[in-house]
Amino acid sequence: MAENGRVILDLSGVTKIYGSGEFAVSALKETNFRVLGGEIVAVMGPSGSGKTTLLTIAGALLRPTTGSVAICGIDVTQMDESKLAAIRRERIGFVYQSFNLLEALTALENVRIVLQVQRNHSKAHAAERAREMLEVFGLSHRIDSLPKKMSDGEKQRVAIARALAKDPELILADEPTANLDAKRGHEVMALLRQKAMELHKAVVVVSHDNRIREFAHRIVWLEDGRLHDHHPEDHRFV
Amino acid sequence: MLLVARKNLFSERTRLAISVGGVALSVFLIGILLSLFRGWSQQVGGFVENTPADLWVASDGTTDFLAASSALPGALGSNLKFVPEIDVVSPLIVRPMELHKSGNNPDDTFDIQLVGFDTLIGLGGPIHVKKGKELPGPGEIIIDNETSRRYGVHVGDRVVKGTKSLPVVGIATGGDFVYTQVAFVTLDTAVDFIDLEPTTLRTFFLLTLDDPEDAGNLAKRLGAATPGAKYVSPDDFANETRSRILGNILPILIVVLIVAFIVGLAVAGLTIYTATVEKSREYGILKAEGFTNPYLYRVVFEQSMITGILGFLLGAGLTILVAPFAQDSVPQFVVFVRWQDILGIAGITLLMALIAAYIPVRRIASIDPVTVFKG
Repeated sequence: MAENGRVILDLSGVTKIYGSGEFAVSALKETNFRVLGGEIVAVMGPSGSGKTTLLTIAGALLRPTTGSVAICGIDVTQMDESKLAAIRRERIGFVYQSFNLLEALTALENVRIVLQVQRNHSKAHAAERAREMLEVFGLSHRIDSLPKKMSDGEKQRVAIARALAKDPELILADEPTANLDAKRGHEVMALLRQKAMELHKAVVVVSHDNRIREFAHRIVWLEDGRLHDHHPEDHRFV
Repeated sequence: MLLVARKNLFSERTRLAISVGGVALSVFLIGILLSLFRGWSQQVGGFVENTPADLWVASDGTTDFLAASSALPGALGSNLKFVPEIDVVSPLIVRPMELHKSGNNPDDTFDIQLVGFDTLIGLGGPIHVKKGKELPGPGEIIIDNETSRRYGVHVGDRVVKGTKSLPVVGIATGGDFVYTQVAFVTLDTAVDFIDLEPTTLRTFFLLTLDDPEDAGNLAKRLGAATPGAKYVSPDDFANETRSRILGNILPILIVVLIVAFIVGLAVAGLTIYTATVEKSREYGILKAEGFTNPYLYRVVFEQSMITGILGFLLGAGLTILVAPFAQDSVPQFVVFVRWQDILGIAGITLLMALIAAYIPVRRIASIDPVTVFKG
């Protein structure tokens, strides 16, 4: 469990360039970005501004061209792939735009499977923990349902339960409301905020949905690969 | 077994059925062809191996029992009787020929290997008489059970060659060479039936020895002492006979076996590959969630292995079930299913499953987890 006020994510001078020579494109430029435990940060910006690049670098899925990335004080910039996988497994929870549940697995199994690869979870313990998390998210009646039998709102709640079940310090959410209607989007964000705050998680939500502003402690604006800090009440970019 | 492997595999029942069916077909083909080869091997060499002789004597250059191009002077048999180490000398007259059943169309012929033997000695005669007389009398013939079954020739019928005919007085077993069968007559009947000239000519001599263990040494000594004759053990002679018949079939059999292996490999490989491609995004999700490549490789290998095991069980089961009935429909379809061959096919299936997983595994290695954040 993350400690409030502790730096969980620290991007320092991060630049990401795709391609080379005359085809080189800078997705992020000299970006500095810190997120503390218990803090919910919304990263907003237009399409193609570099939001997904920022998220995947923060998620130890993509290496920056220059700069450094630290997760829970661990510099992951030069880590090899197996160690990066361990960081993602143990310390990061992902919530995706299109839910990304495994279609052949039930709700319980979708949550259980990520717990089972963590060393501290036996099969029985993982199943118990997954069941608890689904109950917390009001999905007791969906435990044995396959994703195709669930509504989009339910799928996203399963995805959030999966992200939180392994008790990561950092949660990275990519457009979590994009495929939900207004009511369900609000419910999902409220739930994410509530659980993240109860459990003192650091949360980064990447979105261009203005509705998420009310759930964030802090909003940053990303445009042309550069980050700008803004207060949630600042509506200049809306 | 890993949860993802099991769930992915069994959630797509049609694909699984195709994949398992492909492997099963391959296993069935390999199993049947191997059993057929074993069956023929056993059948073709059986008569020579089961005749209780210690040495077969043939003229030099004779390759096997069926070609029977051997021609030995009858005096050789008389001389061999004086060799102290030899207990019994039994002459055989052997000749391949076509007969037809009396009363049937003369063009409706069947092949037999006529064997004239000394009924007083008995060596070289029927292995086991199933019906009728134990030994043929003058002008009588004992045919093989397979000849009787295939061509409807029974005790009491007559078999005809040209203007000559012989009554069938017995039915024996153990003389089936798949495409022909032995039929037994007395030496004199053989001489008359085939118009042998000179009448003293013999095809083979069968020898039993006081010390069968000494057969090898005696064969060398006799070979040196009687130029123009060769002395071979029943096992070697049976193997030469097998080689003659199966030697030509073996390369074809190997090609068909390779094709069957490729068919199984292609079906299993393609279905597992398409399943992997379809689940690429899910493998990407698992990578993003911190699952390592070796874990994901294991998922594919387990899917491939389960497909292989199910295919093997189905294919091997079919082989064991179908084999005994195959000969009823096609007489030449003589099969012998050996557990060693079934074990070997299990190994081949394992190899098939491993190779089938190779390309999907490479595909997984190339999946970039970043792609799961796109759409």
